[in-house]
Amino acid sequence: MTHIHIPDGVLPVWLWGGGWMLAILALLVADRASRRYETRRRLPLVGIVSALVIVAMSSEVVPIAYHMNLTVLAGALLGPALAVVSAFVVQVVLAALGHGGVTIVGLNTLLTAAEMCLGWALLQGGIRLFGLPRAGRVAAAATVLTLFVTTTLLVGLVALSGVTQATERETGALDPQNLTFASPFSEGVVHVGLFSGGESHEEPPETGGGLGLKRFATVVYTLGSIGWVLEALVTAAIVSYLARVRPSLLVQPRALAPVRPAPAEHHGGA
Amino acid sequence: MNVRLVDTIAVSGRSPVHAASPRTKLAVAALAIAAAAVTTNVLVCAAVALTAIAAAVAARVPMRPYLALAGYPAIFAALFAWASAPDLLAGALVVAKAVTAALAVVLVLFTTPYPQVFATIQRVLPGLVGDALFMTYRAIFILGDKLDDLVVAARLRSGAGRHPLRSALATVRALGNLVLYAFDLAEREYDVLALRGYSGRLSVPVRRSAAPLADAALVAGGIACLVAAVAWRVAWRELLPYSWLPPAFTLAVLAAAIAWSAAAKEGAS
Repeated sequence: MTHIHIPDGVLPVWLWGGGWMLAILALLVADRASRRYETRRRLPLVGIVSALVIVAMSSEVVPIAYHMNLTVLAGALLGPALAVVSAFVVQVVLAALGHGGVTIVGLNTLLTAAEMCLGWALLQGGIRLFGLPRAGRVAAAATVLTLFVTTTLLVGLVALSGVTQATERETGALDPQNLTFASPFSEGVVHVGLFSGGESHEEPPETGGGLGLKRFATVVYTLGSIGWVLEALVTAAIVSYLARVRPSLLVQPRALAPVRPAPAEHHGGA
Repeated sequence: MNVRLVDTIAVSGRSPVHAASPRTKLAVAALAIAAAAVTTNVLVCAAVALTAIAAAVAARVPMRPYLALAGYPAIFAALFAWASAPDLLAGALVVAKAVTAALAVVLVLFTTPYPQVFATIQRVLPGLVGDALFMTYRAIFILGDKLDDLVVAARLRSGAGRHPLRSALATVRALGNLVLYAFDLAEREYDVLALRGYSGRLSVPVRRSAAPLADAALVAGGIACLVAAVAWRVAWRELLPYSWLPPAFTLAVLAAAIAWSAAAKEGAS
């Protein structure tokens, strides 16, 4: 559950606007952190890994409405700074192809970046703890844990937005008299007889926001967990293959110790 | 998702919409998305969607891939609507919003070559991000071809069909190979860029409009959509009985676009 599949105009403006602002801030920080030559050198890799993620996200497992993400793998290959850039690029291209709303690109970038960074941290930590030969199992565990956390973040976002009561509020119309929202559907198109041809003054049924959120969370966790297992299997297989064939892609080189000046270079004179 | 097909249609199209300025098309797509976001009326949302389809007809965009790609978000939106919408009409609105925004955005991609789309976006993004966008789009084509070849090779070796598990393992191994290939490709690509004088910014000039009338028509359509969406949201009590007007008007526009497109096709042949 690497991003929200919620269309434009459903989430409140403060939420998606805030998402955009935070995403831009994260991008500026990532851009600044990537100014070193070695990071710049990896720029084409950002393009290629992002393309890999886009291809994966475009292939849907139809019965469970899930698509592969490969975000943990992407995070492991790119590291945290470039992962943020990749997350944004992926979301912009997906939005340009109609996959996900444009207004929620910011929120989606944050979710995807969180997934990549968390996946990277768990994989790096796990490999250090258990060693490279167990990289596949570590990747599987990291993938399931990461997807669980980001799915919870997603449900938290929907809860925060209040979108489930909402649908009433956000599908309502702005009343210029008191600047509150009211639902045209409570009187609705049916009321004016466009569909039914008659007028009715039936009270709309009470719809609890909690009930909607519970149903949303149930759907997301139930269908998502099947997807997590699939994703974990694929990521584990790829990571264990990479660990055997080219481990340097997975193990981040340790920072070089600062070079001490050779004694001969000290020409300190008295 | 056939990105190659989208790109071919965008590059080879010769309609006035293709000739319009990329900036205008992006701005109009933004207006349509704003209209879809603002509206609370399914019929007004349908009208915005019909306007986008009318523009696609005028641009002589092949309808099947266009509608298939724009309809893709409907699957996820329907799931969300089913899980959270209080009634059928509200659910339909959620799905309609998703499809309408997708119709507008996909139309831009079907009528504008991707370097032009990204060149416009690149102006407002940090250098690293703009460059990554270009490289990503290019890589989608390279990786797509390579993945097809690798999967075929892996399946042939594992005897696909008879051994599904072996076939799945072979496919995943092909993905692993793809990652290795991608990494080597990235290294080579940077060297080529550096040799050609890359200094941290890929610069692509934005093309100007070759059909100012098409620009004007697109802008007028976009503004009309937004005005209708805002009007039906703000004054919904008064305008609700007239909700049928926007879709009726856009159906007429769509009919005119179909007739114009057919006439243009006959004239060309």
